[in-house]
Amino acid sequence: MRHVVDELTALNDGALDPAARRAVEAHLAGCDPCRAEQRRLSGALAALARLSAAPAPSPYFSARLAARLAGEPPRSLVGRLAAWRWRLALPAGGLAAAALAGVLVIRQQRGLELAAAAQLDLLQEYETIASVGDVETAEDAALIASLDSFEREGAR
Amino acid sequence: MSQDDDAALLVAFQRGDEAAFRLLYERNARSMIAFCHRFVRDAARAEELAQDVFVKLYRMAGRYRPEARFKTFLYRVATNHCLNEVRRAEFTARASGPVGDDQAPDLDALPSSAADPHDEAVARSLEQAVLALLGSLPEKQRAAFVLCRFEGLSYDEIAETLETSVSAVKSLIHRATVSAAAALAPFGPGGGEEVRS
Repeated sequence: MRHVVDELTALNDGALDPAARRAVEAHLAGCDPCRAEQRRLSGALAALARLSAAPAPSPYFSARLAARLAGEPPRSLVGRLAAWRWRLALPAGGLAAAALAGVLVIRQQRGLELAAAAQLDLLQEYETIASVGDVETAEDAALIASLDSFEREGAR
Repeated sequence: MSQDDDAALLVAFQRGDEAAFRLLYERNARSMIAFCHRFVRDAARAEELAQDVFVKLYRMAGRYRPEARFKTFLYRVATNHCLNEVRRAEFTARASGPVGDDQAPDLDALPSSAADPHDEAVARSLEQAVLALLGSLPEKQRAAFVLCRFEGLSYDEIAETLETSVSAVKSLIHRATVSAAAALAPFGPGGGEEVRS
């Protein structure tokens, strides 16, 4: 039988099925080089087991995280805003018409701000999609393609 | 509480229970910081990354399905985030030229259970060797190795987390463990010649 070095880590981790485990153990019983390699790999695992315990979170970890989460839109609030959006739409329409002239004056400036905000939103969405590692919709794919292109241009 | 309790907390949060999310991150903060530390070598940065992971979890909680394992959902988010951070740091390092001492591992921030000065020195040396080892591994090997050796995930769970096959995970972990055997030989009970199959 050929050496079983490639199976030794899985053997040490208890990740071989019973038949494979018996075959590897049978080989080890008669193969000095493979036993030596198994000792070497086991030695590494023993060394890792001697590492110090993980550091405890700093005293303010939870408080800092709570503060960051407080800046996130509450999930229940998002739902309520979605429901209220339509009820607010009608009176807001009248106000919007009255304000139209003023809006036109500042539109160019506001347009720049909105473009910047949209870019930030896109980047955040890009990061979120990338972190999940999947692309669920054509919209996601288009977004990633446009941001990849944006990133390449920025790198030049 | 078990992993299933974590899943129940996330489901409760999906239904609007903000307190459930707080309990969720308090239960998992320590292990998540330790996980992130294996990627960035700096205690303060590891805490920031762990916070990022929980913020992402907060935003993406709606994607979680109760039939999935919470642990693999959490570590998938964390692994992607940490690998992105490593890539970003490597890109920055390449762009800014050779690194100085400020890039060295923050070993002073690492606690040690060793009371004896000699034991403490050995513990620090071991920690440094492990950090160097992790930094030398290709990113998928590194992720699989950390998930297996430090987070205690099974090969099946790692395959689910990294979205790959169990046989690929077996190969990744074996190759990383072979590298570990070489890097950590001075800390093991004995050496031996490597055997090629």
